[in-house]
Amino acid sequence: MNTSIKGNWILILALTLFSAPLVIMYGFQLIDSVSRPAPGGIIPQEWELTNWRFLWEPIDSARPSIWRVTFNTFVFASTTALLVCAFSITAAYALSRLNFPARRFFLAGLIMLHAFPTITLIIAIFIVLQFLGLYDSLMGVILVKAALELPFGIWIMKGFYDSVPWEIEMAGVQDGASRFRVWWELILPQVKPGLSALLIFSFLAGWSEFILPLVLAPGADAQVLATYMNAVIADDTRPDYGLFKAIGMFYALPVIAIYLLFQKRLMNIYGGGTKG
Amino acid sequence: MQIKLQNFTKRFGDTTVIEDMSLSIASGEMIALLGPSGCGKSTTLFAISGIHRIDGGSLHFGDRDVTTLPPQDRPVGVVFQNYALYPHMSVAENIGFPLRVQKLNTAEIKRRVGEMAELVQIGNLLKRRPQQLSGGQQQRVALARALVRKPDVLLLDEPLANLDAKLRLEMRSEIRRLQRETGITAILVTHDQIEAMSMCDRIALMRDGQIEQISTPSEMYERPASHYVAGFLGNPPISFLKAEANGKLMLGAENSLPMPQGVDASGPITLGIRPEHFGPQHQGPTVTGRVSFIEPQGREDLIDVTLPDNQRLRAIVPAGHDFALGQDVNWQVDLSRTHLFNAEGNRL
Amino acid sequence: MNRQTLLGWSFLSPALMAVVMFFLLPVILTVVFAFTNMSTSTGILGGEYQISESDLRRLPAAGVSNESVEMLAGAGYAVRPETLALFASDFGDERADELDALHGGAVFDDRRAIERALKDLRRDPIRSVRDRKAAAEMFRISILGQRYPTEAAFADAIADIGVPDADRAALTEAAYTGWTFTTQNFELLWELPATWRYAMNSVVYVVLTLAFNVSFGLFLAFSTFYLPTRTAQTFRAIWFLPRILPPVLYVLMWQWLTWDQGFISTILRPFGIEPINWMRHTATHAWTFIVLINGCVGASLGMILFSSSLRAIPETQLYAAQVDGANRWQQVRFVLLPQMRWPILFITSYQTLSLLTSFEYILLATDGGPGRQTEVWALAAYHTALSNYGGNLEYGLGAAYALALVIIGILLSALYLRFFNFRELVAKPRIEQ
Repeated sequence: MNTSIKGNWILILALTLFSAPLVIMYGFQLIDSVSRPAPGGIIPQEWELTNWRFLWEPIDSARPSIWRVTFNTFVFASTTALLVCAFSITAAYALSRLNFPARRFFLAGLIMLHAFPTITLIIAIFIVLQFLGLYDSLMGVILVKAALELPFGIWIMKGFYDSVPWEIEMAGVQDGASRFRVWWELILPQVKPGLSALLIFSFLAGWSEFILPLVLAPGADAQVLATYMNAVIADDTRPDYGLFKAIGMFYALPVIAIYLLFQKRLMNIYGGGTKG
Repeated sequence: MQIKLQNFTKRFGDTTVIEDMSLSIASGEMIALLGPSGCGKSTTLFAISGIHRIDGGSLHFGDRDVTTLPPQDRPVGVVFQNYALYPHMSVAENIGFPLRVQKLNTAEIKRRVGEMAELVQIGNLLKRRPQQLSGGQQQRVALARALVRKPDVLLLDEPLANLDAKLRLEMRSEIRRLQRETGITAILVTHDQIEAMSMCDRIALMRDGQIEQISTPSEMYERPASHYVAGFLGNPPISFLKAEANGKLMLGAENSLPMPQGVDASGPITLGIRPEHFGPQHQGPTVTGRVSFIEPQGREDLIDVTLPDNQRLRAIVPAGHDFALGQDVNWQVDLSRTHLFNAEGNRL
Repeated sequence: MNRQTLLGWSFLSPALMAVVMFFLLPVILTVVFAFTNMSTSTGILGGEYQISESDLRRLPAAGVSNESVEMLAGAGYAVRPETLALFASDFGDERADELDALHGGAVFDDRRAIERALKDLRRDPIRSVRDRKAAAEMFRISILGQRYPTEAAFADAIADIGVPDADRAALTEAAYTGWTFTTQNFELLWELPATWRYAMNSVVYVVLTLAFNVSFGLFLAFSTFYLPTRTAQTFRAIWFLPRILPPVLYVLMWQWLTWDQGFISTILRPFGIEPINWMRHTATHAWTFIVLINGCVGASLGMILFSSSLRAIPETQLYAAQVDGANRWQQVRFVLLPQMRWPILFITSYQTLSLLTSFEYILLATDGGPGRQTEVWALAAYHTALSNYGGNLEYGLGAAYALALVIIGILLSALYLRFFNFRELVAKPRIEQ
């Protein structure tokens, strides 16, 4: 197969052209966050950090501090991720390895839930949260987000469990260990890579989530970076893209860092799980 | 520990895999469950280990009824085909796991793991991880882990299938040595007749969920109870000839053999002749045919002789002969070692 | 129950609880709410019973007789301990005592009658007309504007003012301020021309975006398949970023690209093209960018899946094709593409469902505009029930919108089951006890 650059110049040219808008957007996202363009132009005029002022002073009086919002986002994303993982590792193991009545039914349900578009339920969930008194609280959004991510998490973990040889499990049982102990001491260590991938994935999903906090926790106390940024953009009568992009940069940095660090592991999930 | 499996029945869903099978194994005996894949030998093994439920019948270890006991509570050690070593544990931790489950203290575990490691000769590998071991070493670790609990029964599920030919020879005698030294009752599941014959005191040959014959390896080879058993054992395999019995054994129009002593039969029968009992070097009645195939094997050659009625007989002939393809021959049959089967395939 | 069953159930139960709470219950509730007139004004909990001045006009239409309406409007004047106490504090105990003695327990039908009674007080009649009016007002009994927490309390109240039995049921129903069951949401959906437009919008959106996703995903997968590893990785990274970037930021980038002082306008100005907001200028513009914005996210999913199934095709097949003289296009057309049938079908069915129901990117990009030309069905549900400018959030109507999507979702995800080798998936666990 010819895989040299020279022999593929047409392909590369076509790909470059198609990718140009995205690359331009990425490029100016970076540049504009630390510079000021000429009035009416796009070429940066001078480098400056005033766009980052939101870090040390509130951009307007009604808005909560960025650090409070960031803390909320972190709590939201990490708690969601932990809940998803905790519930997934047990449920997926039961579905993958344990023999119990109605297992077939639950498996079919899992596949359906995996494909089911959860966002359609948001109106009912909104009202459920009001009933529960969890509306407009971080706790409520966390529970909802974790629950909605759960079928996906279970599906992924089941895949990882399925690939652990049965003989390991049989050997453990034969060695006298209970099924719980076999799971905890022998099987769980084998699915650790999968578990950490799921943890990272759910964290990213929580970090980026927009609709759920927007609908279920619109108040200032439970604001997360997505809704904060959206509110800043929506409230501005004269768009200040420098500021928006700086906030966006601040918001996206952890995502990009995590992606760069765990690229390989995440690809597994993005490819295998197929959600979204 | 004597094992007694009585009227064992096993179903998967609606299909009955094994029906009414009985098997008893003497204490300290090593027995092989031999058969092609799908004959139910692994199912039997898993039922004895407790991993599969027994749907009908009973299982006794000595006087103890273990039919409904979960695998955790059965005094059984198992060596799996792929060894099933715990990849995240060192060799010592692997061997020690069954003891740790029993909550023995660390010093005791260490002592017994050391003992076991010496027995299987891997004392210098205790700190390694399974993936750093060769196939033979992994096999020894699996054996040690299965034996460390001092089980009453050792089950081996195709233990040599994943080894190369040379290691297989070595582990064959190694497993037999361990079994003899510990005096443990052992069951070996295999599809390899050589393994079964060389390692075990007795062989249970299985077919479609039933035991076709159970006896010592030599008895099974010399006096196969059925057409099926005769065909399964022996390499190169036995040749079967269709014959008509009417005082003599008629093989087509040209050839006939006298009736072997002590056999009484008439009508269509099947005659089994092993390649080592046919050829120019034997004493006995002769059969005429034409050499149709020669396969040199070094020390001896395999020669196919096609009879006038197109049936084929195989012979093992010592190398250095000067037979050629297409040559007409008239070779002897060692009549006393031939096997006769009736139309149902049973020995006459 | 054996140990394995017990462990299985206990391992499953936390997830099961979450699923029941946030999947099963909402699905059922969506159905229930779709049949109610629940909205901000009715509240989501039970309501109260109240007739206001303005309600009076619509009562006859609700089946309440004019007589009763007059009764509610015209109220009466009752001499009772509580009204007397009110009267006493302003006009003195003596007058009150006398009035009690003369008319205690009486109910006057019109104001003149009670005013006469007040004027006729022997010891200290109220002479000033203005005072009499004020005093009469104190005896007025009316349920207008009164809130009754329970049906029983309301029934007592209307019985008190003498509403005839025949009208009580209709009146009670009309007075209820909470939500009630109704099928009018579906009638409304059926009648509104906007409904059909939203449905059409959804179809346009799904078809265009899906076409872009699949074809561009395939293009990306095939082109990077033939490139040197490093180059391919670079392009894959560029196209993968939209998938992991937070939607708010990702759409912001597009906003910047397209607004009237943004990248496109600035680049085009030297050519004499007036700066416009390229995303929101016309419906066509809006649709183009909506498809692009969603497409760049969806194409990356296609790219990942198609790339991995391409890698699973043995390389020897390509060598064989090359030896057979197939050029690159022929390799793709005759060797690779036919083996990608399942991934393509999978992506198509999967994304149909997720595109049909998702509205995040449209909400952020155009919010359904300009006008309502890019308002898709899912976004309409959101706007109706959860966010609109009027402020009256119609949960019931929104749920009716959502119900359509929920039903489609259930049907399609049941179909989706067929993509999996279910028999293998439910293969019995091999440890039986």
